[in-house]
Amino acid sequence: MAVITDIADAVVAELNGATFSQPVSAVRQYLPKFNLPEMQTLHVTVVPKAVVLATSDRARGQGDYSIDVAVQKKFETGDNAELDALTSLTEEIADHLRRKRLTAYAEAAWLKTEQSVLYAPEHMDELRQFTSVLTLTYRVLR
Amino acid sequence: MADLFERGSNWLEGQRTKYCTRDVTYVRAADSVQVRATIGRTEFQTDDGEAVRIRFTDRDFLILTNDLVLAGNSTLPERGDKVRETQGNSVFVFEVMNWRYSDPYRQTFRIETKLVATETL
Repeated sequence: MAVITDIADAVVAELNGATFSQPVSAVRQYLPKFNLPEMQTLHVTVVPKAVVLATSDRARGQGDYSIDVAVQKKFETGDNAELDALTSLTEEIADHLRRKRLTAYAEAAWLKTEQSVLYAPEHMDELRQFTSVLTLTYRVLR
Repeated sequence: MADLFERGSNWLEGQRTKYCTRDVTYVRAADSVQVRATIGRTEFQTDDGEAVRIRFTDRDFLILTNDLVLAGNSTLPERGDKVRETQGNSVFVFEVMNWRYSDPYRQTFRIETKLVATETL
């Protein structure tokens, strides 16, 4: 398999093996599409995003592999307590993966995590749904 | 002098309610009321959002403002309320996302909803 899909699978394994404040069942998908009624339950989706290849040294190249992790759930009331719990879960996921080698793909070194979408206001307004996206970047020398 | 446009609008709303509506149940928490509603715009859309695409069904319901009475009180629609529409053996549950008055005389709500569940009777 491609390196980026191996890394994405390793991220899924890492998330599904951890304990968070809410049960997480992450899945990897290429083109995730959900129907709004499905979003009543928490969805954590891992999506390969981008690869940047460069020279590392005379013998090796380096690849920076970006993986999106989307945390989504349709909310009931949308009050602070309900949304705070989802924001905290996103942070827990980011913290869990930060500065950590992936057990299932130890060659990948964590480089950075960006919370590219802290929360999507248009989803809150139009779908009454919480959406937050983390973009994880891992570096592999090969 | 009477506002002829208002009188015309009243008549039109009466005809709409009489001939172009179906029963739906408007629900807020434990309170509910059966009202006559005209089905407005219905669209199937996809949100090409960040990382994940969400597909949803939009549906507007036109309901007379005087009909929306919950727990004995006239009320305005609120985000998160539900509209339950029965068709055959299925109950389609729509969630209120937004609303506005449908006419200049505030006789009718246009309630914008999205499908959030389908139940089988």
